[in-house]
Amino acid sequence: MIFDKPDSVELLDAVNHFLNEKIKDEVPPHLVFKLRIVENVLNIVSREIALGEKLSREVINDLRKLIEADTANIKDLALLIKEEKVDLQNEDLKNLLVKLSKNKITIDNPNYSTFKKLVD
Amino acid sequence: MSQELGSLLSKKLESESINGEIINLEPLTGGASKEIWKFEVKLKDKSEKYILRRGSGIEGPLVIKTSDEALIQKTVRKLGALVPEIISVSSLSEPLGDSYIMKFVEGETIARKILRDTEYKNALLNLAFECGESIAKIHQTDIAELSFLPKKTVKEQLSDLYETYTLFNQPSPVFEYTYLWLKEQNFGEIDDALVHGDFRLGNIIVSQDGLQSIIDWELAHVGNPLQDLGWICGNSWRFGNTDKVVGGFGNLEDLLDGYNSVSEYQVDPETVKAWQVFGTFRWGVICLIQASAHLNGTINSVEKAAIGRRVSETEIDIVDLLFLGGR
Repeated sequence: MIFDKPDSVELLDAVNHFLNEKIKDEVPPHLVFKLRIVENVLNIVSREIALGEKLSREVINDLRKLIEADTANIKDLALLIKEEKVDLQNEDLKNLLVKLSKNKITIDNPNYSTFKKLVD
Repeated sequence: MSQELGSLLSKKLESESINGEIINLEPLTGGASKEIWKFEVKLKDKSEKYILRRGSGIEGPLVIKTSDEALIQKTVRKLGALVPEIISVSSLSEPLGDSYIMKFVEGETIARKILRDTEYKNALLNLAFECGESIAKIHQTDIAELSFLPKKTVKEQLSDLYETYTLFNQPSPVFEYTYLWLKEQNFGEIDDALVHGDFRLGNIIVSQDGLQSIIDWELAHVGNPLQDLGWICGNSWRFGNTDKVVGGFGNLEDLLDGYNSVSEYQVDPETVKAWQVFGTFRWGVICLIQASAHLNGTINSVEKAAIGRRVSETEIDIVDLLFLGGR
């Protein structure tokens, strides 16, 4: 990257801090809920920048092993399932779907109860 | 905006012979798609509290007209079901728009408060049973009076959901798997009943004395009513209390005891599980629909944009239910 510090994640952290520390107490009650959503959105973006590539790669690697195709992606897997061209009872398939779901929620909402329960 | 709305409300209420100054008009945090306002009407020696529920006119495909919600509430209230009393209904072409005014019911709707605050602790003990009882009563509504409602069999609903999901061109391996799984399930031999469609904390009013009212009928339809039981058991509506299967506050046994004490059709836990997976898939598709309203430019809303990233919550819930022994 040719850009100076702060990097994108650090910029987002600064915005989030500003919203949390300076703005939160100023907004009318009916907007507090929306402000929380804004903060959540910024956190998703921040986590995706930091971890998105790695978490996607893990799933894609497992997927390509499972279906023995070097260029396969998530859309291909969806289609194979739809057309029942994979064995739906295959444990590796089930494990892959679990990993896909876990990796997505790691970015979208790592505090989500089911994810926390499964990780503990 | 409040001033203008106040005068519209005042005129509408005059037509119902309620004459008084509108005071304390304030917006409440409502659902993602409807406006909700609380206000009071100052009468001679007292004031009465009311709620205005108002649609935007651009709701998604699963949502009925706000004025039709009012008609359902009127109908189920005659059965003795717990719903707020409707005072006035406005159609889209009237100045107030697609909306209705109902009596304010004391109590709490915010799920996290109900689950956390000590004042509701006792109410929660019996709430799952009460929910079962009340929704069973609602399911007995004579649907002849509600001919305007969309009517769908499970099979039709499932293929509608699947087709809706495919419209967004975001293929999900988990949803594809789920759809195939759901096609094989037994959802119970019961049909043609009034389904609330969004029966859960957030859409019920709870006081210290327990369940007070069932509100937010925007997803109502006619079909297999057991959907409502699976929906309230979805993890999305447990608000973090994953071990309390019913709404984050109760046990499935209590919900079913309440339901089966009123309903002729006796429901077992396996049927509820099928509906739970169905409901989770349905919530995932609703998230897609909500997000698409932002993505296609109908409305620029950070709330709707954010909900697109909640689809993954439904996927992890489904893999937990199907593969990892989740309840």
